Amino acid sequence: MMQYWINHHGVQSGPHDLEALKQMGLTSATHVWRAGMSDWVKITQMPELQGIFTVVEQPATAAAPQPSEAVTGQPIQPQPARPQPAMPQAAAEPCPPTNMVWAILATILCCLPLGIVGIYYANQVSKLYQAGDVEGAKSASETGAWWCIAAITIGVIWRPIMMSFTGA
Amino acid sequence: MRRTLVVLLAIAVILVFGVIYYALDPTSSPLFPQCGLLTLTGYKCPGCGSQRAIHALLNGDVVAAFKHNAMLFIAAPWLLLCLYAETQRKRNPRRYAQLHSSTLIWFFLAMVLIWWLLRNIFNW
Repeated sequence: MMQYWINHHGVQSGPHDLEALKQMGLTSATHVWRAGMSDWVKITQMPELQGIFTVVEQPATAAAPQPSEAVTGQPIQPQPARPQPAMPQAAAEPCPPTNMVWAILATILCCLPLGIVGIYYANQVSKLYQAGDVEGAKSASETGAWWCIAAITIGVIWRPIMMSFTGA
Repeated sequence: MRRTLVVLLAIAVILVFGVIYYALDPTSSPLFPQCGLLTLTGYKCPGCGSQRAIHALLNGDVVAAFKHNAMLFIAAPWLLLCLYAETQRKRNPRRYAQLHSSTLIWFFLAMVLIWWLLRNIFNW
């Protein structure tokens, strides 16, 4: 699930998923960031978030309803008009291992073509990471690692079993 | 320290396997049983012939290696590229992401699957 951080009238909060964002009564003045983006942008510039915010002409005067109070649980403090939020931790996280090396080794050397599943998961890791879903990428990385381990283990134990049949 | 140990160990393992694959011919040695998929189903897997190909390569016979498993000639350089990417994962995550882009991995996956299909149709 994609996680978003928002800056709503100077108050930063997150991570929120898409469903939570819909409940928050965001306005066009809200700034959004998610993993995979280089910087915060206005919510109006996010294609996947169109239609979940109300358009406000002058964000400075639209101070009456403060829906973000309910979310953060904290009173809203006066902030400088231009938000300069710190980047959430996830931005600096490197891509989880794709296990591509093991997947290729398993595909070339380990009999049953389980390594192909490893390559498929390597692709999932890369795709999810590029889309900003670091958690999803991590989980795909682990699943892929298990497939590689299974492929290599079967490839190794296959030899003595097979050798005993051929009478070597 | 630990890193150096891992690298040295990896080099030792590669050297040992190199000597084994150089000296023994998988075609005749009982130490190299037939691929499991081939035995069970009669169909070759994408990796079938790679051991014979490595043996041929180490003995300088490139043509024979190509006949045993042509995919090795793409998979092996690709493997080196991925190994290099692995050294860059934390130091240079952007380079890692570039070398593991979805497009590149898809290309490799598609290549393996097409190779798998074609080699069983044309008996490569």
